[in-house]
Formats: sequence, structure tokens, C-alpha cells
Amino acid sequence: MLLEVKNLNAGYGYLQILRDVSLQIDKGEYVGIVGPNGAGKSTTMKTIAGLISPMSGSVVFNGEDITGLSGSAVAKKGISFVSEEMNLFVNMTVQENLYMGAYTIKEKHLKNERLDFVFELFPRLAERRKQLAGTMSGGERKMLAIGRGMMSNPSLMLVDEPSFGLAPQLTTSVFASLDVLIKNGVTILLVEQNVTKTLAVTGRGYVLENGKVGLEGNSADLAEDSYVKKVFLGV
Amino acid sequence: MEPTTNDLNMNLFDRALDRLCLTPIGLAGLILLLLLPFIPPFNQEYMLRWLIYCGFVAAMSVGFDFTAGYINIVNFGYMAVAGTGGYTSALLVINAGLSPWIAMLAGGVSSAVLGLIIGMISLRLRGIFAACLSWFFGLAVMGLAIKMVWLTRGPLGLRTPRLFETESNVPFYFLIIILVYLTYLICKWVVRSKMGLAFQAIAQNMDAARTSGINPIFYRVFNFTMSCAIAGVLGGFYAHFYGILTPDMMHTSKTVEILAVAYIGGRGSLWGGAVVAFPFIFLMEIVRSTLSHLPGLNLVIYALVLILVMIYYPGGFSYFYDTHIRQPKNRALRYFLNGREAKI
Amino acid sequence: MSKNNMSDTLTWLKTAPGLSIVISIVVAVAATIDAGPYLLVNMVVTGGMLALVATGLTLMLGVLNIPMFAHGEYFMIGSLTAYYIFTPISGFIMEHPDSWLVTFGPFIAILGALIGGAIAGAISEKLVFGPLRRRSTDNWVMNSFLLTVGVSVLLVNLHQLIFGADFKGIVGYWQGMPISIAGAYISLDRALAFVISAVIVVLFYLFMTYTRTGMAIRAVSQDITGAEIVGIDIEKIVMLTISLACALAGVAGGSLLFMYPSYPTVGLEPLYMAWFVVILSGLGNILGAVAGAFMVALLKVITMEYVGAGWDFVVPSALIMLILIFKPSGIFGSDVRGVLDK
Repeated sequence: MLLEVKNLNAGYGYLQILRDVSLQIDKGEYVGIVGPNGAGKSTTMKTIAGLISPMSGSVVFNGEDITGLSGSAVAKKGISFVSEEMNLFVNMTVQENLYMGAYTIKEKHLKNERLDFVFELFPRLAERRKQLAGTMSGGERKMLAIGRGMMSNPSLMLVDEPSFGLAPQLTTSVFASLDVLIKNGVTILLVEQNVTKTLAVTGRGYVLENGKVGLEGNSADLAEDSYVKKVFLGV
Repeated sequence: MEPTTNDLNMNLFDRALDRLCLTPIGLAGLILLLLLPFIPPFNQEYMLRWLIYCGFVAAMSVGFDFTAGYINIVNFGYMAVAGTGGYTSALLVINAGLSPWIAMLAGGVSSAVLGLIIGMISLRLRGIFAACLSWFFGLAVMGLAIKMVWLTRGPLGLRTPRLFETESNVPFYFLIIILVYLTYLICKWVVRSKMGLAFQAIAQNMDAARTSGINPIFYRVFNFTMSCAIAGVLGGFYAHFYGILTPDMMHTSKTVEILAVAYIGGRGSLWGGAVVAFPFIFLMEIVRSTLSHLPGLNLVIYALVLILVMIYYPGGFSYFYDTHIRQPKNRALRYFLNGREAKI
Repeated sequence: MSKNNMSDTLTWLKTAPGLSIVISIVVAVAATIDAGPYLLVNMVVTGGMLALVATGLTLMLGVLNIPMFAHGEYFMIGSLTAYYIFTPISGFIMEHPDSWLVTFGPFIAILGALIGGAIAGAISEKLVFGPLRRRSTDNWVMNSFLLTVGVSVLLVNLHQLIFGADFKGIVGYWQGMPISIAGAYISLDRALAFVISAVIVVLFYLFMTYTRTGMAIRAVSQDITGAEIVGIDIEKIVMLTISLACALAGVAGGSLLFMYPSYPTVGLEPLYMAWFVVILSGLGNILGAVAGAFMVALLKVITMEYVGAGWDFVVPSALIMLILIFKPSGIFGSDVRGVLDK
């Protein structure tokens, strides 16, 4: 098992959002978390990524307890977080942003290998390598954020709302790039508003409601589940 | 001042206290301060001088907190503003033969004008840059006071006539206590009115305040002007008490002294700084005079207290008082600390 | 192509940075012709040192969001360290005029000032800013500002308490013949002070632009969450940034010891001059801070020459206020972190 989250309780200050959230991800899996707004999807991600320290519960990654580690320590363990806000370095160029993504890698040639890989994945970024990140369009920024997340050669990527605020055809290309990553053996935990899409691409899914895991199972089964259909797909 | 909702169920004494923004303990403290010059050892002249300085800092910190605590802008040139009032007042007395009492008020007006200008030009700036602007303004005003030797005699200082033609400090002491209380009362009245709510709204978020129909420009400038007017009058008192006025009084380090007392007292409380000023400044004066072979020790203590308060107890004394002392079980004591509370 | 370049240059000249740089150069040249080259020399030496202090200040403000009021005190610590290192060295030089220390002693003192500033900065972070950051980041800018006010008062008065309020100065670092450039005689001390500041500013710029750590500092200033998720250790960068910023102030204090003897409030002037620079040039821009430093230095020198000594308080602050009113983001400021109320 690559990641095991057990009875996680977390929130902001006194406001508790997650209640006993547990999930497991195996190596190479493509797992989605779906749920309504405010269900705690992003909070789950941020807690795993170390940006929020949990009140209780545990996060075990690669057999190692990483509960309560800082964001940078978690990143060094090989978890890469692509946040909803992207958190790009707006006054740096595309290439500099990507190099920053490989901050945990010290060897120059390894960094360049990763850079080539990301440029191959997103040729658009290669064209714009000298452009400032702050001046790019929404879709390009999303690609850059995912590309930056790839730079550290992570064993697990947490991708939060990759389609948020994007036009449909851009959404498609972002999802296509995630597919490529899966084929390259990366494990992905995906959080999405777009339930149909998520359940179509992922292998397994969790349904989060009011900070709790309501349902879990194979994505195909979940998509057929009457409750999910009723609540999320309006069928 | 609008009548408050709990007017009906109060007796005359409680109602008067409420209007005067005092609690029974506040009244007792005020009476104690007024009796202090007759209680040894405080009846000695040098101690009275210290107490007058305490009073000055207390009143200034109230005026400072009116801006810092309510619209969240640190007026870093506050002593320079007070100095402007002091110089205006002194020059009017010396050159135009005005009575110091009227000149003091004129000093208040001149500082208000200065406050209006600073308030207007710092309007669009974010908190810290508004603080910088008032700081630079203060530096420039102090520079002017130093360099306009033909008017101010520069660093030599102006000899100013005193308010009372007496060697005794007692009348000055009563006057400053009255000024401390008046400053507090005026500020409190303003923040108790609906204006106080507007202040808090624009301190939190200018844009949100604007969309909810509050005109932030008016309130910010009004606040600034009023607190500067207070500083001007107090600067006039300073000038006509010490009898000598040098540009040194406008120095940033003097503003820091006021700022420290206001924040140690507790921001946004108005009374915190006034209450803390008396024991704190008095102790500092004792340290300074008894340990005169260790110059600067009092300010080291000062700075340490400010740092510790800012890190570990940013609410200051007033927060401590409100959370730990204010709500005792005993009803009589509770009345003493809070006055008659509203029945809902 | 060249025509294109020409028009590019022309548009740049019409922007605020271009215009102000050109005006500054014209004024500097005119004043030099009018009053003599010593004016230019003064401007360059003052500007160089100011650039060091102001860069540190921008760093604190841009990376850590701390509006540093105590920055002048690290200048003071630098000058004090240099004084106590150089005094025994100069005694030794008196007895051994042929020693290698004649040439390198001053460098040891200035290096000491750099290290002294860095250590003082690190201690401040450990004891003051760190604890505040861990307790609460609500209203951070204002609270940290007040905290630096406390630190400033503390350091000034500790100096007075421990070392006394007298002037602790030296006659000069290097006892060589003045260098003559275009008819102006420049003492060795001034020339080397400028060289030192120039070298440090260039090194610092290269460090921030090309090294992994320098880029990490910039990343933290642009997006702290982003920096954390790519694995940058924020605590370490914060500590490093504060030490660097204070080291820059310290080395400025150390190398100007021959002009500004060390006394408790020696830091006040560099502090507000540096603040002028930061307001003038906007935040988070090293090159802007350097250009701004020379402009403020020019302003100061010209005011002293044509209006009179002592007015260097008044005229620059009046001008800075005008800039704050009409161009609150500064001349070189980017729009990323404006000073306007949000």
C-alpha cells in the first residue's frame, strides 16, 4: 500500500471539517474523491500534503508515518500536491517555475531529464519557457502547475480540481495529460467537481459528504450507484 | 450622545456614570488620582512632575489608540503632530500675546489641520504605508522646527510662559488629570456612537465597508483629524508646563513611548493605555532616577515589555482585565468593576 | 531591428523608471559641473551603502512581510563590531607598520561587521519573530512592525547601557594617498567603501538570480504555499533571509565606520533613508532598490549642497510623500504587492 489514511480528523482552528476519514491507495492506482462543495475534499488533500496539521488520525506513506509533517517535509518524501489555486511563482518564468518544482532534486542532470519529460508532456510549456507565469492563460497555468508537480518525480500526486475555471476543451487536455502520467506509473489521487468525468477516468473512487466517507468502490460501480446518480448526476 | 437602551432601569447615579463612560472602579481610580497630590510621598514636587508626565503620556496614548485601535492605522508622527500644536501655541503666546489657554486650543486647531492633511493624503495607502507616510511627515515637521531658527530658535528651544503663574506643580497636575479624562470621554463618546461601528468596519475591510454604505474617506479623515487635534491641545499643555520647547519632543522615539504604552495597555480599549501609563511611566522614572549610572536601562525594560506583550499577549492589559478580572462571582464586586449592567 | 530597439528605448524613457533615471542622471551631471566632482563622489559612496541597507529592507518586506523599523540597529551593530575589531588591529598596525594587517586588517573588521549583523539577525529571528510567527499570523504586518519598534528601542538602549553613548569612531581604515579621478581627490576609504558595496550588491544579485537558495527565497516571496509544496523548508529560508538582510545592513555599518562613528542612534539616518528608497522603488525589486538608493543619495547630497545641511531631513521626505501620494506602488514597483488598501 502506497498511502494509508486512517481516521483523519482535521479542520481550520476550532472548525472541524474532516471526521474520521480513511482511505487507501495502492501503487499505480488512479483514485478519485468526489463530493459536493464543502464536503472536505480539498481539506483532505491539504492535510495529506502537510499544509494543515490534523487533530487526530494518521497518514502513512510508503510504510512511513508522515502525520503532522510540514508541507516541505511531505514533499521531500515524494508526495506532490497540485493545489486548486495552483500557487505558481508568478514573477518567475515557466522554466524557473519548473526548476523550482524539482527543488528536492539536487543533481543538475536529473533536473534536466525531468524538464525534458515535462516539456514532452506539455509542448505548450516548452514554447513558453521564457514567459512569466503570471502572464499566462488559465489553461496554461494549470498545465504549468501539473508540470511543476511532476518535476520532483513524485510517487504520489495529489491533484486538486484540475478543471476548475477551465474551458471544456482545456479540461479534456488536462485530463489527457493526467492519463499520460498514469501510464508512466505515477499514482494519482484526484479531487474533482466534475463527477461524471472523474468516475469515467479513475479506477476507484470515494464519495465524501459532510467530512465523512459516504461510499467507496470501483468508479464504474459508483457511477452506476443509484444514490450517486440521484445526488450528483441528477438522474 | 444618544440615550442607551438601559437608561430606564438605572438609578440616577448609574445613569450619570454611564453617560460619563465610567464604572465605579473607574470613578474610584479618578478620585484616587485627584487625591494623590495630598498623599505622601506623592506630594513632593519632583514626584508630581513625574505624575504630570505620566498624565501626559496617558492622555496621548488615549488619543493614539483612537486611531491605532479603531481604524488600525499607526500614526507614527504622533509626537510631531503634538509638537506642532505645542509650537503653534507657544509662538502665538510669545509673538501675538495670546493667553496660553486660548493658544492651547489654537494649537489643537493647527494640529487638526495637519491631521486633516495627513489623513487626506494617506487615504489610499495600506496600513503600514500610511504609518510610513505619517512618520515621514513627522520627520519633515521636526526638520522644519530644527531649521526654521528665526521662528523656533531651533535646537536651542523656545522659552514659553507657563499656564499658571506659580512654582507649584499641583494646578498642572489637576489640569492634566482633567485632560486625560476629557480625552477619554470625548473619544469614548465618539466610539460609542454609530461612528464607532463605522470605524471598526473600515478597519476590518475598506471595500466591504464601502459597499455597505459607509463612506470610509469621511470616517478615516475624521478619526485622524480628531486624534491629531487632541495631540495638539496636549502639545500645548506640554509647552506651557515645561516652559521650554525643543524640537526633541517631536522625535520618533517619543512617539514610540506613546505607542508602547498604548499597546501595553491594550489596543482598541482607550482606557488601557491611560491606566497603564501611571504605574508604568512612574516606575520607569524611578528606575531612571535611582539607577542613573545605568542610562537607558528604563528604555531597555520598556522595550522588553513591549516585545513580550506583542508576542505573548497582544491584547495587552485591557484584554487581561476583561478576561480574568472583570467577571467575578461576587455581585457587589461585579457591580464595582462593571457598573450597572443592562437587563435584557 | 535597430529602429525597433530605438523605439523600445524611447517608450522605456517615457515610463516612470526611465524618466526618473534620466532626470537623476541629468541633475547629477549638472550639479557636478556646477559644484564640483566631490558631489558626485559623495553621492556614489552614500548611494552604494544605502543600496546595501535598502536591499536588506526590501528583502525583509518582500519575503517575510516584516516592515522593519529596527534595520538601522543592525547597521549600528555592524559599525560597533567593526570598531571593536579594528581598534586592536590599528594599535597593532601602529607598532608594526609593515604588517600585512595594514592592508587586510580593515577587511577583517568589515567581514566581522557582516558576520555580526548576520548573527544579530539570526538571534532576532530565534527570539522575537519566530515566536510571534508560531503564535499568530493575524494582522501580521502591523504586529511585526510594532515588534521591530520594540527591537529597535531595545538594541539602541542596550548599546547605551553596555557601551555608553559616546562616539566610537576611527580616523580611517586605510592610510594611503587619496586617489585622483578627473581632478577630484577621493580618499582610499571612500573608494574602497564604494568598491565593497558594489561587489556585495553584484554578488547578492547573482545569488538571488541564479543559485538554488536565492531562487528559493524569491519563491517564498512570491507564493509561500507554492514554496512549501515544492519542498522548500520555509523556516530555514526565513532564518536565512533575516540573517542576510541584517548582514547587508551590518556590512554597510562596518565599512562606513570612518564616516559614521558608532553610537546608539547611528542607525536612524540609514533607516529612514532606506525607507525612502523602498517607498521610492517599490517592493521586491533588487535592481530597483539599487537605482532608488542612488536617487535618494543624490537627493540628499544636492539638498545639503544647495539648501543647506540639516534640510536633508525635510526635502527628501517631502518628495517621498509626493511619490507616495501620486505613485503609491513606487517608481519601479511591480503591481504584485502594492501599497494600496486592498
